This record gives sequence, C-alpha cells and structure tokens, in this order.
Amino acid sequence: MSHPRITLEHVSKQFAAPGAGRTAVLDNVSLTVNEGEFVCLLGPSGCGKSTILNLVAGFEQPDHGRVLLDHRPISEPGPERGMVFQQPMLFPWLTVRDNVTFGPRMTGADKASYQADAERYLQLVGLQDFAEHYPWQLSGGMRQRAALARAWLPKPQTLLMDEPFGALDAQTRLAMQELLTDIWQRTRTTILFVTHDVDEALFLADRVLVMSARPGQIRESLTVPFARPRNPEELLTDSAYGQLKRDILHAVREEAAKSLGLQPA
Amino acid sequence: MLWQLSGSLGWVDPLLLPPPSDLWQTVQELAISGYRQTPLWQHFAVSTGRALLAFAVAIALGVPLGLAMGLSPLFGAVLNPFVQFLRPLPKIALIPLVIVWFGIGEGAKFFLIFISSFLSIVVGASAAVHGVSQGRLRAARTLGASRRQQFVHVVLPDALPEVFTSVRLSIGIGWTSLIAAEMVAANSGLGWMVINAGSYLRTDVVLLGIVLLGLTGYAFDWLLQLLQRRFAPWTGRDA
Ligand SMILES: Nc1ncnc2c1ncn2[C@@H]1O[C@H](COP(=O)(O)OP(=O)(O)OP(=O)(O)O)[C@@H](O)[C@H]1O
Ligand SMILES: [Mg+2]
Repeated sequence: MSHPRITLEHVSKQFAAPGAGRTAVLDNVSLTVNEGEFVCLLGPSGCGKSTILNLVAGFEQPDHGRVLLDHRPISEPGPERGMVFQQPMLFPWLTVRDNVTFGPRMTGADKASYQADAERYLQLVGLQDFAEHYPWQLSGGMRQRAALARAWLPKPQTLLMDEPFGALDAQTRLAMQELLTDIWQRTRTTILFVTHDVDEALFLADRVLVMSARPGQIRESLTVPFARPRNPEELLTDSAYGQLKRDILHAVREEAAKSLGLQPA
Repeated sequence: MLWQLSGSLGWVDPLLLPPPSDLWQTVQELAISGYRQTPLWQHFAVSTGRALLAFAVAIALGVPLGLAMGLSPLFGAVLNPFVQFLRPLPKIALIPLVIVWFGIGEGAKFFLIFISSFLSIVVGASAAVHGVSQGRLRAARTLGASRRQQFVHVVLPDALPEVFTSVRLSIGIGWTSLIAAEMVAANSGLGWMVINAGSYLRTDVVLLGIVLLGLTGYAFDWLLQLLQRRFAPWTGRDA
C-alpha cells in the first residue's frame, strides 16, 4: 500500500529571468506521494508549487535530480496523469459535454464505455442542465466544475490539482471538496493538490507538505490524522485540528513573510 | 445635403466634386450605355471576378502555408525572411517585373492581387498559431491527445478566429491592389474605369468608381464577418 507513485529526488529547477540571470525556483526538492495517497502542497505564492505539478505532468524537465512515476522517469504528459489547472482551460469551441468527454474521445474509447459516466459526472458537478451550453455561457465557478469533470472522466491513476477551487465561492468550494473526497475514497486516485487554504488542506489531505519561500524546498511534512469520512463541522471541534492548523499557519506565515521580504511577525 | 447644395449653388466646381444629382445621372448613363462601350455591371463583374479568384487562391495556399510556418520553427525561420521582405513592398513597384513574367493578360492582374493578399494571410496565419493558448494545449496533452489530435482539436479551432481576422485584413489589402492590377493594360474593370476616367477628367465617373470600390470592399468584409460568426462563434470568448 505504501508503494511510491510520484517521487521527486533532489530536484532543482531554474528559469531564465528577465535580463541575463536565472531564477532558482526549486532547490533540491525531494518528496514522495504514495499510491492512493492524498497530499496537499502549501506554500507562499511564487515558491514553485505549480512548477512541481508541471514537472510531474511532464510539461517541464528538471535541471537536476529525477522526477519519477512508478520508479520510471517522466518524459512527457500522459492520460494516466490528469490535471486540473488554476484556470479552467476549457475549449470554447466545444459544448460542456464535449469538453467533459474530450479525454476518452481522444484516446479512442468506445462511446458506450464513457457515455453513462459522463452524464454521472455532469450531474455530480451540477452541470447536467448545461451540457449543451458553451463554456463562455457559464459562470467562472461552473467552468471550473466542468474542468473537474473533464479531468475525472478518464479515470486517471494520478490527479494533479492546482488550486482548482481557488476561484469558487465558499459554499461551492465546500461542496466540491466533499465531492472530491467522495470520489477519491471510491477510486483511490493518487492526488497531489496545491492550495493556499490551510482548512482546505486539513479537510482533504492525508499529508500536508509545506514549502519554503523561493527557491522552494519542502520545509515540513505533516500527517493529517483525522478519520474519514471527514465532516467540516466536526473537524472544527477536534482539539488536534486547532493545534495542527496553528503549526501549519505558523510555517506558512513565516515563509510568506520571507517571500514578501518582510520580517516575520 | 451640403454636398448637393455645394454643387447646385456653384460653391464648388462640379469638375472637382460633382453633386449627388450629377452622380445619379452618371449611374443611369453608365448603367444603360456603359463606360467605353462596356456596361457598368460588367466593369463591376470583371473586377470582383478577378479579385475573388485571387482571394480564393490566396486563402487556399496562404492559410496552410502560414499554419505550417507557425507549427514548424525551422520552416518558419526559412520562409519568414522572404515573406517579410516581399510583404511591405508597394505592389506597383512589381508591375514591370510582373509584366515581364506574366505578360499583360489576366495572369498579371491575378498575380498582383493574389500576391498582396497571400503574403499577409501567411503572416496572419502563422501568428495565429503562435497565439494558440499554451494552457489549452497542455490540458489536451494531459487528456491523451496525440500530436495530430492536438493540431486538429486544439490548434486549428484556437487559431481560427485570428485566421479569419487576418483573412479579412488581407482581402482589404488585396482589394486595394486592384487598381495596381488594372493599371496593367486593362480595358475594363472598376479600377481601370477610375484611372481611365481620371485621365479624361470625368470626375463623376471617378467618384462613382470609388464609391463602388468602397462598397464592394465593405461587402466582402461583411460577408467574411458573417462567415466568422457562423464558423468561429467563439471568437473573443474566454473559457
Ligand atoms: N515558464 C516560466 N518561465 C520563467 N519563469 C517561470 C516560469 N514558470 C514559473 N516561473 C517562475 O517560477 C516561480 C514559481 O512559479 P510557480 O508558478 O511554480 O509558483 P506557485 O508556487 O505556483 O505560485 P502561486 O501560488 O502564485 O500560483 C515564479 O517566480 C515564476 O516567476
Ligand atoms: Mg501556481
């Protein structure tokens, strides 16, 4: 059960900065996400969270170190690693339904094999009445929900999620978090989830990784012990919840202050 | 009103600016007896025929070539200098060469209209590929789209609105070169009519020709906008 699905070994990554220099974004990052595990990645803005997801997705290659999927180096993107981006990234020329079924249609799956699932996911994210609409006819939150359904439908073994709920209102966000844990508990997809929100991380994750300010490193790895299924209201009354949240907030605030060049309070 | 009055009251010499009433007479005269033995509609048909044929070929060749240049950095780098050198050249400067190459028949006229719209379509289509959303391409790749599928299902539809825009601009440019094209030993066509009438001080015919040239250009653009709304309704829409 603790077979590592995603492994970063001493990964460093730089980007060309304006002018002649280079910005070190990741510095000697090592982390593991086990098969079936739900890991949240927290850290100050610009510390390299999206960069880590891009490396695992196969969009970028590390300058040093190795990025492995099931012990094999990742060389390019593949449908076994789904991704939900910070922006919905829907295709405006396709209806919501055609957006959602884009994956299976590309991989040549038999229509009968995904049609029922597609309708179910549309229903789960509350878009069954908007299947024939075009993305631009939806609100921002609805677009992000369509993007979630699109990423889930091909049943990827690994799902990379980059602040997928960041743009949602508080109620929809809660509903989506519960939906996500529901589906995850059934499918046991390995999930690496980037967020800014400590409560979100504690509600979703088995483990929380806190990153340092740029150049990013993994500063802390904290296990989230609460039994599942979790209930957001009950969590708040748990004394361990308060303690864990304080620890994480402390680390996050310290790093955020560093990244903004302030003195830690 | 002001235009009509200025002529009727003799404020402006009708030779400089014929009033609308004179122009209307010119329309009737040209419609019935034609200009230089050729009916007006025929001048119009000759010009639009020449232009449409040239546009069609320019689009059919220019869009694929531009897309290929946008997709392949190597191919783009090889062809770009030629395109960028030729594109800003005033096409009138090419007339002597074109006559040597194509003679003074329809070939020369076709080539002049074709080359000006073709070059800007190529530039526009290749820029459209560069403008394709990297984020959507990435989304398609994580969903398992092959390179061919990425092209067909993401690059093409994503570039289509900009391709339409560049075709609209290019057709405007091509229509502008009609005059240059019809300077080459023509004896009919709206462009030729304007040039010819100008040298005989038939300002009314010149003005009428200009109005017709303008209206036709406008109609082309309107038609393309219609096609764009029909075939790329996501133009300018975010998702
Ligand atoms: N393609 C790129 N070219 C150059 N620099 C880049 C590129 N991608 C990211 N960077 C830089 O790398 C750093 C980290 O970016 P990244 O997007 O990973 O941050 P992040 O942790 O996801 O931030 P946020 O929480 O704000 O989304 C930033 O300083 C950014 O400027
Ligand atoms: Mg990010």
